[in-house]
Amino acid sequence: MAASIDGVFEAGLKSAIEAAKVLVVGAGGIGCELLKNLVLSGFKDIEIIDLDTIDVSNLNRQFLFHKQHVGKSKAAVARESALRLNPNACIKAYHDSITNSPYGVNFFKRFSLVMNALDNRAARNHVNRMCLAAQVPLIESGTAGYVGQVELVKKGLTQCYECLPKAPQQTFPGCTIRNTPSEPIHCIVWAKHLFNQLFGDDDPDEDVSPDTADPEAAGDAGEDALKSHSNEKGNVERVSTRSWAQSCKYDPEKLFQKLFHDDIKYLLSMDNLWKKRRPPTPLLWGSLPDAVAGSSRNAKESGLRDQKSWSIAECAQIFADSCRNLKNQYESLKEGDHLVWDKDDKSSMDFVASCANIRAHIFGIPQKTHFDIKSMAGNIVPAIATTNAIIAGVVVLQAFSVLQNNLKSCQTVYLRSKPTSRNQVIVPEKLLTRPNPKCYVCSTNNEVILCLDVNSMTVKDLQEEVLIKTLNMVEPDVILDGKGTIIISSEEGETAENNPKKLCEFGITDGSILKVDDYQQSYKLSVTINQRSVSKDGYDFEVVGDISQLKPQEDDTTNSAANGPSDQDDDYLEIVEEEDITLPDIESKKRKSVGETEGGISKKRRIEDDDDDDVVII
Amino acid sequence: MSSPAPKSPEQSEKSKKYDRQLRLWGDHGQSALESAHVCLINATGTGTEIVKSLVLPGIGAFTIVDGKKVTEEDIGCNFFLDAESCGKSRAQVATQLLLELNPDVRGDYVDENLDQLLENSPDFFNNFTVVIGTSMTERTLMLLSKKLWDLEIPFIVCRTYGFIGYIRVQVTEHTVIETHPDNQIPDLRLDKPFPSLKKYVDSIDLEAMEYKDHAHVPYLIVLYKYLQQWKAEHNGHLPESYKEKEVFRSTIRKGIFVDEHGNPEAEENFEEAIRAVTSSIKATVVPSHVRDILDDDSCINLTSKSKPFWIMAKAVRDFVENEGEGCLPLSGSIPDMTAETEKYIALQQVYHSQAAKDSEVVFRCVQQLLHQLNQPPDTITEKEVKMFCKNSSSLHVVRGTSVADEYDPKTPNAQNIAGNLENPENTMVYYVMLRGVDRFYSEYNTYPGEFEDQVEPDIVKLKVWHFICLVERFS
Repeated sequence: MAASIDGVFEAGLKSAIEAAKVLVVGAGGIGCELLKNLVLSGFKDIEIIDLDTIDVSNLNRQFLFHKQHVGKSKAAVARESALRLNPNACIKAYHDSITNSPYGVNFFKRFSLVMNALDNRAARNHVNRMCLAAQVPLIESGTAGYVGQVELVKKGLTQCYECLPKAPQQTFPGCTIRNTPSEPIHCIVWAKHLFNQLFGDDDPDEDVSPDTADPEAAGDAGEDALKSHSNEKGNVERVSTRSWAQSCKYDPEKLFQKLFHDDIKYLLSMDNLWKKRRPPTPLLWGSLPDAVAGSSRNAKESGLRDQKSWSIAECAQIFADSCRNLKNQYESLKEGDHLVWDKDDKSSMDFVASCANIRAHIFGIPQKTHFDIKSMAGNIVPAIATTNAIIAGVVVLQAFSVLQNNLKSCQTVYLRSKPTSRNQVIVPEKLLTRPNPKCYVCSTNNEVILCLDVNSMTVKDLQEEVLIKTLNMVEPDVILDGKGTIIISSEEGETAENNPKKLCEFGITDGSILKVDDYQQSYKLSVTINQRSVSKDGYDFEVVGDISQLKPQEDDTTNSAANGPSDQDDDYLEIVEEEDITLPDIESKKRKSVGETEGGISKKRRIEDDDDDDVVII
Repeated sequence: MSSPAPKSPEQSEKSKKYDRQLRLWGDHGQSALESAHVCLINATGTGTEIVKSLVLPGIGAFTIVDGKKVTEEDIGCNFFLDAESCGKSRAQVATQLLLELNPDVRGDYVDENLDQLLENSPDFFNNFTVVIGTSMTERTLMLLSKKLWDLEIPFIVCRTYGFIGYIRVQVTEHTVIETHPDNQIPDLRLDKPFPSLKKYVDSIDLEAMEYKDHAHVPYLIVLYKYLQQWKAEHNGHLPESYKEKEVFRSTIRKGIFVDEHGNPEAEENFEEAIRAVTSSIKATVVPSHVRDILDDDSCINLTSKSKPFWIMAKAVRDFVENEGEGCLPLSGSIPDMTAETEKYIALQQVYHSQAAKDSEVVFRCVQQLLHQLNQPPDTITEKEVKMFCKNSSSLHVVRGTSVADEYDPKTPNAQNIAGNLENPENTMVYYVMLRGVDRFYSEYNTYPGEFEDQVEPDIVKLKVWHFICLVERFS
């Protein structure tokens, strides 16, 4: 270890490193580099967690993994590879999601320092909150292409990951996706929804058939068309796309006929939609155009399959092949299981690329190459070893400062692709970025620990006894953090059926965090549950924290700009994720987000992807 | 600049493995990387780390030059050496372990010190794409710097010292064709339409269109039409000032169709035209930085040794003076826009074929030049010329200085160093310190403070060497 060479580290730092227990969240691009740096710096007690497995596309930068490791646990292989070359380190690997219940506040409290090497916003939010609650310093980092950033999150001292609202993901109205696409992305989103309807988690919000409730079409969905349509289908109007596809054994020709001919005919019958739009052209399986639009340009420039433009006839062939493959994959699953769309799975990606292009053609929208569609559908963030290595290096330098209790020198650092006017490529902020006093996640006095027995406390008791009587609230809303389950709603009667249920029935356990919001008092509170069995002398619960200070805030608008975005550098980077995340938007059911967040897949996958390391420039 | 390999299972495996980086630098960047052969001097922690980040994305080949044996200390600060490698050739062990990272990469090593190598095989370095030097003594640094400067091979000098690091890139001349500028201004020629563009747009009559067609005409055509009208009314001048552009925008806005109640219809293409006024209504000129390249001595006075970049630059210069009538070859691509697919493709074709014609002219000129210079005709391919023409408005040339010159006390950069030393935020102090340390090492063959009992006397000696360095500078 470099740490064992005298003079490299000053004595205090050397012993602090040896005594430190650190957690690395994510064993992807940044995670591998971090692990290497930590081992070389003499860290003795390292834990690393990642629920992902190794994919071929990781190998260009995640150097602890080789070809023979594809399909294995990232965390486990990272540990093995690091130990093979450096057998003296002590590394514990978890092949699991950091958002799972074993990793509550008490788990985080065990560490001197947590380092994030994540690729998605949901998991970053989660670790941010856990570290704030556990009072453990967190070093947050991300990269995208040639740029990256590192920032320290320390409660009360610096901005937390959620102090500034992140730009929302792009969303599209459902009727644009289903009825009136006008851009390639609309067709790509539709194709991903179609994948889910046929083979994945079929979320009813992701319906792909014509939307008769489109306000623009307002009642004009020609009665006749409706009739003939339902007659054709044997008068089973609302049969799910999945059951229909299964009934015809996923026959590609029949699927094609329905999706790209019958449904389009039906759309055409909704006259109002096409008064000012170019109407779509239904396609017939037997007579597909063979020419490639704009091919004189693309065909010559690249010989790679993925970067060529496909003719519609080629698209149909690829559609048919991928349908057959996906059908076989789907049927080999256990009953009740479904496929999960993966941009790195050939059939999944071919299916989406071909469907998106066929639909684009129908609506007169420019087609895209497989390569470009993959970028858009998978929200791919480019990634290279060099950027990850630089960022991981800065993370470890900041870790040294944290261990020396020199937090003041941990200013946020940006790695830029071009030098600044002062010729800097790695650019630190001049000062620590102070917390946003209005941040609902990290502002002071907005959290308490609540000791109770989740197996005996009912929702009604939580509302009446704890929140209203003890914490002086009026109309609290309670949401289980991370899962988004609404436990208590201030809307009269909306969650009445929850009242007699025990907290444990909602998955509330030790370390769970309840987000409590009293709109009337403009007062928000984070409640961390500390599980205690009911003792003999029969206490019900105990709130730990300085309750005397828990008073509703006055809505002080003059204050609201303090430390807000206006203080930021122009080149502030916002960390987002490769696999896109949007928190479910409760208000607008009609709106859909792009990327992995759509429907079931994302709900299952969003916290799991740990493929890349990413940032986006605003 | 090799053409992409034919489709094969291996190729698709490769494009999967490299997917995340292909999205950063494209096929072209990848083939440049794969045809490169890098030489690393000394398999130090820093050196292997650098090669690691080149092997992973798939550099063609690397060669490590290092005569040292692996020590305990190496194992501590080099992730790629294991305990069993102690006492073995450092170049050999590092090469083996680095090769494990990527089976597509070729690697070899020379178990010899740089001094010996320079003496025994003076031609050793002739064919590398880049040479990277770490932990070099000042003497060998000077020798290698001079050699590579003469060979015009880029040389990257790296140095780490505790928490301090230093990188120096030595390039004689670096020419860039694909500069990927952040704000690429589309090359549209609306002010100077080439005949086929004029003919195509004149064949379209906006007035006679139905609403549905009108709302799906590419915005370039809208802009062109209104610009013609403007020029006719303003003595052939373009709208230039902010005020004129405002007036121009409102003229376009007036062209939007209105419905039966007199309200404007939604015409996204007209909105796009209005938004594009600032960026697209400009006089087509040769940008000044490209003008400088075309007027460069290397461009005007070609020799038999001229590099392809300069030969192509000369051909473009001739084009601008003749066929181009003052303009660079057309880039040939147009931005995305709301439009009916057929109309968009037709317009795309108009630009594309003109660009092909322009680059054809340049290519013929390139062939003539090669003939005159007695260079083989296949030195420059048609594809390369196309690429050059497409990017001709963003060409870039960097020229550097040699490390040996920098170290020569006679060169006049003392003022610069002194000025920077006075600024406490400047990192020049580290540069001076590192130079002093190198001198110290050259003199005593140990680093200052390496032996605990020598720390105090070493400080005195180091100060002396710093003093000498500075005196050399300022005398």
